[in-house]
Amino acid sequence: MIPWRTRQRLVRAALGTITVLFLAYQWLPMLTMALLSFTDPEGGTTFPMRGVSLHWYRELLRVQMVDDFKPPMARSLALAGACSITTAALALAAAQAMRGRLRGSGAYFYLILLGAMAPGLLVGFGVALLARVFGFGLAWYTSTFAVHIVWTLPFGFLTMLAVFNRFDRRLEEAALTLRATRWTAFWRITFPLVLPGVIGAALFGFTLSYDEFARSLFATGPEQTLPLVIYAQFDRQLQPTLYAIGTLTTAVSLGAVALFATLLRLVRRRTLTSDQPSKKESQP
Amino acid sequence: MSTLRERSPAGYALAAPAGLWMLGALVVPTIFIAWVSLWAARGFTLASPLTLANYAKFFTRPAYVRVLGDTVQQALVMMLITGVIGYSIAYFLVVHVRHPGLQLAVFLLLVVPFWTSALIRTIGWIPFLGVNGVINQVLLLTGIVDRPVEAFLFSRTGITLSQVSFYTLLATGPVVYTLRNIPPSLPEAAQCLRATPLRVFWRIVFPLTLPGVMIGQILVFLNVMADFATAQAIGGHKHAFLGNLVILLYESGQLAFAAVVAVLLMIAMLLGVAVLLKVVDIRRLGES
Repeated sequence: MIPWRTRQRLVRAALGTITVLFLAYQWLPMLTMALLSFTDPEGGTTFPMRGVSLHWYRELLRVQMVDDFKPPMARSLALAGACSITTAALALAAAQAMRGRLRGSGAYFYLILLGAMAPGLLVGFGVALLARVFGFGLAWYTSTFAVHIVWTLPFGFLTMLAVFNRFDRRLEEAALTLRATRWTAFWRITFPLVLPGVIGAALFGFTLSYDEFARSLFATGPEQTLPLVIYAQFDRQLQPTLYAIGTLTTAVSLGAVALFATLLRLVRRRTLTSDQPSKKESQP
Repeated sequence: MSTLRERSPAGYALAAPAGLWMLGALVVPTIFIAWVSLWAARGFTLASPLTLANYAKFFTRPAYVRVLGDTVQQALVMMLITGVIGYSIAYFLVVHVRHPGLQLAVFLLLVVPFWTSALIRTIGWIPFLGVNGVINQVLLLTGIVDRPVEAFLFSRTGITLSQVSFYTLLATGPVVYTLRNIPPSLPEAAQCLRATPLRVFWRIVFPLTLPGVMIGQILVFLNVMADFATAQAIGGHKHAFLGNLVILLYESGQLAFAAVVAVLLMIAMLLGVAVLLKVVDIRRLGES
């Protein structure tokens, strides 16, 4: 019989190996794509990589390529920005409403969560069918926007619920006891305290919309978003230009995450310092 | 006392925008699909007579039924694989990584890809799977095979390989959450009573994480059932799941029949979730 300490070490080594292997497995395709995007003009879409160059990025700047990729990129960014703001606002309102113990709040909770569970392709499909029968046009700033919010809102909503669950109600109560109106107490006390959650909701709104493919497929009109254009190009022919644009758009996603994380840290620091006022501030 | 009075009109006003949005852009389109699925194949109008003929057509064609079977089978395979890998990662992360900085680093490495494009990540798999791909080059180099294997690209294996890299996170997250919520005193008490570590795991830890496991299984199930992009990109139009069938039929103008497939996909998803929820309940009853 193996002593249990050794056995524990074995289990730990085995689980650690699985974790490390999986992380490598998860990241390798993304890193490989980034690496191969720097291949030479003669380089193909797989190894062996030939030389190092910026050829395929320069290729993206060619007039025809700019025409192909720039408008969709601008549309995707605008759409993601709109989804970010809308998700944050709707999630904040919906989560605050849940605190009022409304009639039917159980059903309401599941209604919003349904947006994350429903198959995206089919939501877009339903909207496309409605558009056909009732003769309204599909466009990225109307129908696509509507179905993207269906996808991003549940994530923002859950984030806000979690934040409202954890925040210190006594601060709000103190403000109300001191005769602040509910409106003032909300904006002066509650909102700054739940602001990290609002930023989190905005991040979900941005990145989930920016990368969304399934919901856009049926719901978008002739003016397409970036993932749709990338897919169409991929379906025609796989070239290292796609690796270059893929690397760029991944950089945009990760940049957005980093930006929101920085924002979050700034807000946290500010809240922390105002929680425990420094001597300089507390002196008249 | 709070900034919102209980059951005040203001509460309903705050709840309305999000609720109406979900009704208009999610519930109405979904119900409309179900309605369209009953329309006669010819003439696409609201006045169309209602019929079940489209459903009968689906179930009399073996090719279509096979797609349904393939989709469910793929979901089951993925649940098994991601369940095992996901639980291992979650357990390692929570129990064995003690250093908080390292824990955060591993967690971020795990989660960050969720915020990038699944489509781009799928394309990233292509250089690995081809006949000249990385996997084949490694296999040839190590002498495991002496001829390149063609079974990766345009195959179910390739689809599964890439889906595992997308969906394992969904099986890990909820387990991490439930593992973190176990009070350390519980396994400690069992150890004091001289239970072996293996016994502590199976009798104490695992049952407590079961809700997390089931939520993960539900998430993986739903996502794999709805996944069509991986099959389309990696499977190269040679492999179809129900989602791909919807696209195919839509593009060929068979809208009512596409709606039938969509409804069947949704029913299969609902049934699957109902079954999974039942499994959790049964085990809970067994414990008490």
